Amino acid sequence: MRWEVFKQDAPGKPHQAVGSVHGADPEHALLNARHVFGRRPAAVSVWVVPADRVLARTAEELAAEGPPRAAGGDAGQARRFHVFRKSSHRRSMTFVDHVGDVDAVSHEAALAAAIAADGPEPALAWWVVAADDVTRSDPEDAPSWFEPARDKTYKQQSAYGTVTPRRERGAAP
Amino acid sequence: MTTALETPPTGTLRDALVARLTALADDELLLGHRDSEWTSHGPLLEEDIAISNLAQDEIGHAVLWYEVRARLDGSDPDDLAFHRDPEGFRSCLLVEMPRGDWAFTMLRQFLFDCYEAEALPRLARSPYPPLAEAAAKAHREELFHLRHAGLWVRRLGLGTEESRSRALAALGVLWPEVGGLLAPLPTDADLVAAGYLPDWEALPGAVVARARAALGAADLDPGRDPVVPAVNARDRVSPQRAELLATLQSVARADPEAVVW
Amino acid sequence: MTQAAASVDEGDPRLRRFEARIAAGEKIEPGDWMPDEYRRQLIRMISQHAHSEVVGMLPEGAWITRAPSLRRKLVLIAKVQDEAGHGQYLYHAAETLGADRDELEQALLTGRAKYSSVFNYPTLTWADVGMIGWLVDGAAIKNQLMLAQCSYGPYSRAMVRICSEETFHHKQGKEMVIAYAQGTPAQRRMAQDALDRWWWPAVMMLGPHDSDSPNTPLLVRWGIKTKTNDQVRQEFIDEHAPELMEAGLRIPDPDLRYDEETGHWVHGPIDWDEFWRVVKGDGPCNVERLAARNKAHAEGAWVRAALEAYAARRPEAVEA
Repeated sequence: MRWEVFKQDAPGKPHQAVGSVHGADPEHALLNARHVFGRRPAAVSVWVVPADRVLARTAEELAAEGPPRAAGGDAGQARRFHVFRKSSHRRSMTFVDHVGDVDAVSHEAALAAAIAADGPEPALAWWVVAADDVTRSDPEDAPSWFEPARDKTYKQQSAYGTVTPRRERGAAP
Repeated sequence: MTTALETPPTGTLRDALVARLTALADDELLLGHRDSEWTSHGPLLEEDIAISNLAQDEIGHAVLWYEVRARLDGSDPDDLAFHRDPEGFRSCLLVEMPRGDWAFTMLRQFLFDCYEAEALPRLARSPYPPLAEAAAKAHREELFHLRHAGLWVRRLGLGTEESRSRALAALGVLWPEVGGLLAPLPTDADLVAAGYLPDWEALPGAVVARARAALGAADLDPGRDPVVPAVNARDRVSPQRAELLATLQSVARADPEAVVW
Repeated sequence: MTQAAASVDEGDPRLRRFEARIAAGEKIEPGDWMPDEYRRQLIRMISQHAHSEVVGMLPEGAWITRAPSLRRKLVLIAKVQDEAGHGQYLYHAAETLGADRDELEQALLTGRAKYSSVFNYPTLTWADVGMIGWLVDGAAIKNQLMLAQCSYGPYSRAMVRICSEETFHHKQGKEMVIAYAQGTPAQRRMAQDALDRWWWPAVMMLGPHDSDSPNTPLLVRWGIKTKTNDQVRQEFIDEHAPELMEAGLRIPDPDLRYDEETGHWVHGPIDWDEFWRVVKGDGPCNVERLAARNKAHAEGAWVRAALEAYAARRPEAVEA
């Protein structure tokens, strides 16, 4: 199975989509996410969600087809949804950022509510994920899961400075 | 509450501490080395990345222990790792054995993690600050290691008939050797008497209990408790240790004049 | 007209809008409209790139157990781990286009998929590890910096992440080779020998001459490539040739010279016969590389089956 991974770099910053991992079950996926995306700083939290449980729409898709409609219409109990948004075409290593939560009866209703509440700057892409579909690392585990990576400076390019050959006396240019 | 031992030990106590640190470091180095043999041969791309993390963690612990030893006797960690003869190593057979199949590696890692989970908190309470600080640092990673090891114990024991039988076969070889890991060095008694290793006598029982509980939860019965010898000098060169070190040291030893690698 | 260009429907109005978006610097994301040929070319490029990372773990991975210092051991494990990670990010990018990772892996294992021929050469000494870091990763970085600007969002993002990690590979390789070039006589010989064997494979790694590269025009048109192979190759040689010589090493190209007028290094003729032989599977290590990957895959089958069986029986969440 494929799982989308969200990583929070520091407390107070949003969870951001960083890629995906393969895993057989939620625990396996969560630990794989830590192995793949937590091997260098900075991280304090990772979330994983089955890839097929993400409602994704780009601005182009919404303009062409209008907002998506849920199969069950407006029926059902409200649940919590996490909403993610891409706001810029600027080059980045992350995709959508967690911008807020919505209580709604479906992914589609949550997206509609997020769009309605959106500000003047157009969103480039939206992802909506049910909170119940998310498997999360425990914040109390951060000292063990993520902090030790800070000390592994042998694999951080900033620890290397500029590497230049010393000119040997008499060597040909 | 014991007060910190301000001055470094001298004489026989110093030698005993050097021996203990060497055993700690050598175990980590050889285990990390065996883990690293999986790189580019793992069962899944994500597992290749995972085992590489574990290998780096264990070798990182080895460096910590060698550095504490270096402060005591001026030794050089690279010299100890790459130019010491096999007779001078103080590793146990458990970590020397070849990597085997994935069940073997995961279960060996699990057993060693059970040991670190009990040894490191005790060492972190040592009144000798360099020892305590190194143990505290290594212990940070241990929580994650236990989580990862537990994941594999369950999936091996509760997965398929094949994963179960491979797990039991691995335990058949590994479990008896836990005794060799847990047995004290001949000079550990001096350190215990002088207060350097708090609660050290309780270590073997705690490790075995922890391991047995996790294995049992995965329906894996390792059999009778391993025999823990009164002492293990760890000075025997097993064929596995000889083979491992011959590879590990081959490039360094081929150019003994080299100062910088 | 190339086969690729022939399959593009130039009359499609959606194509005009798509190209206008790219010209405006917008990223194309999964779900956006794209020509079939854009999707096809990207899956081809990205999966070849992913396979190269995974196969690339083997030549250097072979030296982990023999790394001659504790630091070098940690560095090499981390570097090869990164290559697995880079493969992982790239398979993800291909998956966003609808590719299936298992199918891509099968294509590699059965010899149907291509990967960078540079990894079909053997690593004969410890210095090869340093030389690969300096030259092969150096060439890769030039390519990756260019691809980080690519129009397809997931590929661009994977490249940005890869670039941030690859710089350490380049620096540690350079650090190693400089140390050996200025070390013991045995180390100096080892460094020179490594350069003698890796220079041309690294130069060729940047791809065939533009005139022999049929896919390039379409890739440039759609913002997947922003520079041609020859341009990137020139950047690579201009940066690395003087530094290698400054380290006291001799580059195995008797025709290599600096052209004052253009400010570029001019290189001798490239042996493309060898390149095509190695790409088509006749290199020194092609068989070995694929055999190793097949063995790992086969030996891992019971592990993957156990994971699936456990998941099927116990779909609970977190297990602390």
